[in-house]
Amino acid sequence: QDLRCGRPSVSGSHVCNQYGTSGSLPGEKKELLQNGPDLQDFVSGDLSDKSRWADYKGNLKREKGERLHLPPWLKTKIPMGKNYNKLKNTLRSLNLHTVCEEARCPNIGECWGGGEYATATATIMLMGDTCTRGCRFCSVKTAKNPPPLDPQEPYNTAKAIAEWGLDYVVLTSVDRDDMPDGGAEHFAKTVRHLKERNPKILVECLTPDFRGDLKAVEKVASSGLDVYAHNVETVPALQRKVRDPRANFEQSVRVLKHAKEVQPGVISKTSIMLGLGETDEQVYSTMKLLREADVDCLTLGQYMQPTKRHLKVEEYITPEKFKYWEKVGNDLGFHYTASGPLVRSSYKAGEFFLKNLVEKRKTKAI
Amino acid sequence: MPCWAGLQQDPSTIPLSILPSCFPSLLPPSTPREAVLLWFFPFLPPILPGCMYKCLIKLSLHQRTAQGTGSRMAHGILGLLRPLQSRLSASRTRLVLLCAETEQHQGPARGWAERAFSSTHQDAPGESSSEDRVTVHFINRDGERLTTTAKEGESLLEVVVNHNLAIDGFGACEGTLACSTCHLIFDKDTFQKLDAISDEELDMLDLAYGLTDTSRLGCQVCVKKWMDGVTLRVPMDVSDMRRQLEVGKQSKQ
Repeated sequence: QDLRCGRPSVSGSHVCNQYGTSGSLPGEKKELLQNGPDLQDFVSGDLSDKSRWADYKGNLKREKGERLHLPPWLKTKIPMGKNYNKLKNTLRSLNLHTVCEEARCPNIGECWGGGEYATATATIMLMGDTCTRGCRFCSVKTAKNPPPLDPQEPYNTAKAIAEWGLDYVVLTSVDRDDMPDGGAEHFAKTVRHLKERNPKILVECLTPDFRGDLKAVEKVASSGLDVYAHNVETVPALQRKVRDPRANFEQSVRVLKHAKEVQPGVISKTSIMLGLGETDEQVYSTMKLLREADVDCLTLGQYMQPTKRHLKVEEYITPEKFKYWEKVGNDLGFHYTASGPLVRSSYKAGEFFLKNLVEKRKTKAI
Repeated sequence: MPCWAGLQQDPSTIPLSILPSCFPSLLPPSTPREAVLLWFFPFLPPILPGCMYKCLIKLSLHQRTAQGTGSRMAHGILGLLRPLQSRLSASRTRLVLLCAETEQHQGPARGWAERAFSSTHQDAPGESSSEDRVTVHFINRDGERLTTTAKEGESLLEVVVNHNLAIDGFGACEGTLACSTCHLIFDKDTFQKLDAISDEELDMLDLAYGLTDTSRLGCQVCVKKWMDGVTLRVPMDVSDMRRQLEVGKQSKQ
């Protein structure tokens, strides 16, 4: 309130009466406009101060028929810059796809830009950019019969990643229900090529559920990767609404469990989107179920509607609530819980993983 | 008296070499001037403003009108011009059609000119008159009744998405028969009159929640004239059903 010093509200209402327009806004909205921030507040840069997110007065929970506005903590910069463009050009020249572009990730500028340590992270999407399932939260293209796999892709991907000199890479793929093994062999080949070229690189694979085919899971899990990831996406109660009907919670948890059985040293990881209408109890019970399935890492992010054909956002979870879930996750015993509105499955995956590993090693040494 | 849109000079003074090379395939030349025109086609400069081509079509039409073949010629030429359409705007395409028809009926020059200059960009090809619109009603998951008018031939999925109806999570696979999010429930009479369901659609429909005997996927059903006034229901989600049960339970307590 101290920002609006010396601005009498009397003059505002006087102007209104002068023009004889009473407007159609309700009384409280009018008051908000009169007593709320004016141009000076925006220009001075005070409103971008993160500590004022608690003051955000917009609606965070969707009522029937309305569409929520994007709260300030979800607004990101437009991706630009040398690193971003370099990555984009390399990807196109090698005919590679990234889920960053296909799924319209809001962090693309930040991850590809490289951040303060200049380590660009990109999540390469194998087996093309067209999926055989249509989930209601995902904007990746869908087709009944996507184009056939490129047999050179494992080799090209390994070559590109080796060129970039990354320390940590995330490989993901679309669902390929049209292939007999769901694309597991293609996936495994890519990991093997990668490890051949650079044995020290850390590889994380974010796999589909292969329709529950555990042999395919085994193929990928024993290819030499370090982290096996598969997203459950949401709480069990909302699985039918959010995901394709061919996917479900039990199948996904089975995949994660089996990966650990086949390769005991591997680290398993999963991810949940918040804001689709789940309750706190549902989220907590889901986290417990995942911990019981011996999942090591968990990421929680805010669901954002990619296009008008997808589900509307039911609720925008505040950053404070995300911090609360992070604490809950750590208390439940996950290796790490990455939780934030813009956190995605592979957001700063390398940083979290390595930081965690380094810290654990330190505590062991002590 | 033919009218020339935007043509300031006398048609006879236009250089003969700028006619589209597709012209020779039509009727044989009937005048010496036309013969000269045809001979110059191979030497056409390929890049010219589209409007110039138009003007020269007019030139040839003018020759033919006296023989009463104007309108057919116009349509013929229009067909040949389809490859050029990417360069020409829709309004110009209709300009030619209007020109040809005017010559036939010898309409008033001024009236035609007004029409020509006020032509606005509309969907190409052809014009959509109000008779082509079909009224369709949707009842969405909240029980709201949404009404819109659709063009014949649009799929129901296109209607929902393009007309920005308040139905979210609809058409996730963009109509490629790879999901069941465009699941709609029809009334019995409408359902029976629809085209036969394909095996692929049946496979996807089987996975849909809340399947009924009169369910179809919206991306496979196109709007037809006889569907005017039909009402379609968007089935409720699993979570909606549970929420309803919970609310029911709470109200009882």
